[in-house]
Amino acid sequence: MQRLYIHPLPVRIWHWINAAGFVLMVLTGLQIRYVGLINVVSFRTAVAVHNSVAFVLIANFFVWLGFYLFSDRIKAYQSELNPRKHFTATFRQIYYYAFGILRGEPNPFHVSIYHKFNPLQSMTYQLVLMLCVPIQFYTGILMWDVERFSAQVNFFGGVRVIDTVHVLIFIVIVFYLFVHVYLSTLGHTRTAHFKAMFTGYDDVEDDEVEPAAAAPESAPSGGVRPA
Amino acid sequence: MDGYGALRKIPRALLRISFAIAALAAGLALLPAAAPPAFAADAAASATNEQCLACHGADGMEKKLADGATLQLHVPGDTFAKSVHNSIGCTGCHTDVNLAAHPPAENDIPSKRSFSLAMTQVCRGCHADKFDQWETSVHAALVRNGDSAAPICTDCHNPHAVIKDAATQIDQVPCQKCHSAIYTAYSGSMHAAYRRSSDKGYAPICSDCHSAHDVKPTSFGQGPEHGPEAACFGCHDGVLAAHQKWLPNAALHFEVVTCPACHSPYAQRRVDLMLIDSKDSKARGTEQVGVPLFDASAQSNGKGIDAATLWNLLQTLNRAGIAEKTVLRGRLDVLTGPQAHQLADKSKAISDCQVCHSSGSQAFQSVTISLVGPEGRRVGYGANADVLNSPTSLESVSGFYAIGGTRIKILDILLALAVLAGLGIVVGHLTLGWLFKYFGLYHPHNGGHGERPADGGGPKAA
Repeated sequence: MQRLYIHPLPVRIWHWINAAGFVLMVLTGLQIRYVGLINVVSFRTAVAVHNSVAFVLIANFFVWLGFYLFSDRIKAYQSELNPRKHFTATFRQIYYYAFGILRGEPNPFHVSIYHKFNPLQSMTYQLVLMLCVPIQFYTGILMWDVERFSAQVNFFGGVRVIDTVHVLIFIVIVFYLFVHVYLSTLGHTRTAHFKAMFTGYDDVEDDEVEPAAAAPESAPSGGVRPA
Repeated sequence: MDGYGALRKIPRALLRISFAIAALAAGLALLPAAAPPAFAADAAASATNEQCLACHGADGMEKKLADGATLQLHVPGDTFAKSVHNSIGCTGCHTDVNLAAHPPAENDIPSKRSFSLAMTQVCRGCHADKFDQWETSVHAALVRNGDSAAPICTDCHNPHAVIKDAATQIDQVPCQKCHSAIYTAYSGSMHAAYRRSSDKGYAPICSDCHSAHDVKPTSFGQGPEHGPEAACFGCHDGVLAAHQKWLPNAALHFEVVTCPACHSPYAQRRVDLMLIDSKDSKARGTEQVGVPLFDASAQSNGKGIDAATLWNLLQTLNRAGIAEKTVLRGRLDVLTGPQAHQLADKSKAISDCQVCHSSGSQAFQSVTISLVGPEGRRVGYGANADVLNSPTSLESVSGFYAIGGTRIKILDILLALAVLAGLGIVVGHLTLGWLFKYFGLYHPHNGGHGERPADGGGPKAA
């Protein structure tokens, strides 16, 4: 068993701020949209919290973006460019989660410091972080001050269109949170992935460690530690 | 027998003598008590007035007109003496009267209205600026359209009793003659209360918001830069900044919510969707849009225009080849004119967001689609409330949306499905894991993944 330093400190800080922030955004978003049905806090309070947390998340997004843009860890998000290989690996991963894991089959994906996401994760995270989240931020900012951004709001078809896009992505994020949290419990123990996101280190069987993990240059105290 | 008929039986010479005696008597009686120095006529004018009032000052003097109506010819002398018109005297306006042939032998006045309309030109002689303003008003537009009840000069200003600033006195304001319901509402408003209370300073009366002569149609629904609502900001400057301290998207609220919608807290509200030009934002006129098309749409289902009909209507208006596109601009307004004038003290204004931003809010149960009629007045057609939360409104009512209040229901269904799917995956996967283990289908491989957790969860994942 080896311990791989797969989540550097900036990523962990970003992740947990993001997690708390998005949970708050979902809760306040529900309160804003369903005031009358849900009455935990006032509409005005929900809007104020929603707006404030949004700006924290936007700033936090750039922490994530900056870290990956200016470190070699960006390799984690580099996709397999060969479509055949990419989709083969993706479907193999889907099969594993849908069926193989239930039968006790081994995980087809082997983690490493520079290759910590399986193909399904890599694709999902890129869609969420590089498409859904920026659009959500953008539509949110437009609705934060509709008059100030009226030209852009009108360009996209009006505030109703902007809000509908915002709500559609909200729905995607709600679904994503269920699946993301559940899949996080599918480590070698239920809490393994959660612990890794706090400590930065993940326990990996020796035969699962890819050669790339052997000599990481950017990991503190080396990328691999004995378990 | 009318007044002129009685007078015709008196020999002219006797009449002149009577006029002189009566004028002297009336002059002696009226002048010391009634004529204020500021409006005092010169001696010649007063003498003429007295001559006229010798007959017209007699109570009950009237004349039957060709249309059968009765024209009052009685002019109370004391009232006229207080009038600002006292200074110009009777002949200042009634220049056509030839005393030598007065009263005329022929009854040449077909109706009171025609007489008053003709006399507006006399008013114009001195009050050209006011008359020109009036000609741009909704009142003048109605007159041009043949509305016999639309006010002309003498409907608001009794020419024989014009008192300076009378129209600015709450109890004497002439608008109340036609707009009694609105006047009653205004009388109970905080504007009227402040105006009556001398220590509270200035507060507006009708003409301060609607103008005195160039009276414009109510323009709520056409944006804050138009009409009376602009007048709100004329006095209440700085209100946007005041609202921005507590109201999110205050500028947007100012754009799509009329002042009375919140400041007339007991009013019913409605959403007015006005058809406007997409480029210059000017309201579409009934003559541009084609009312028959609109009427057919409005009557399509007996419940007003529904979402599909509205969408089709806009498609028709914006069909291929039409350069000027038509869009809908929505504003939350109060239901009636009187309600727009029941303005309460700001401490009672609606500030609870939930009043509007909740599903089923009363604010969104009444909807009209509106155009502008030939005389500039809003012409509204009833619409079904579903136009505000239908998926088709994404395009047709794209510019009006209240979070929570006019949300599209299908998105709620999608959210429920997403939650069910998310929970379903979790519960389903856990259940399958338990079943696989229960039936002995789970065989942990010997590649070092270890035993599955005892609760039936899956083995390790990436």
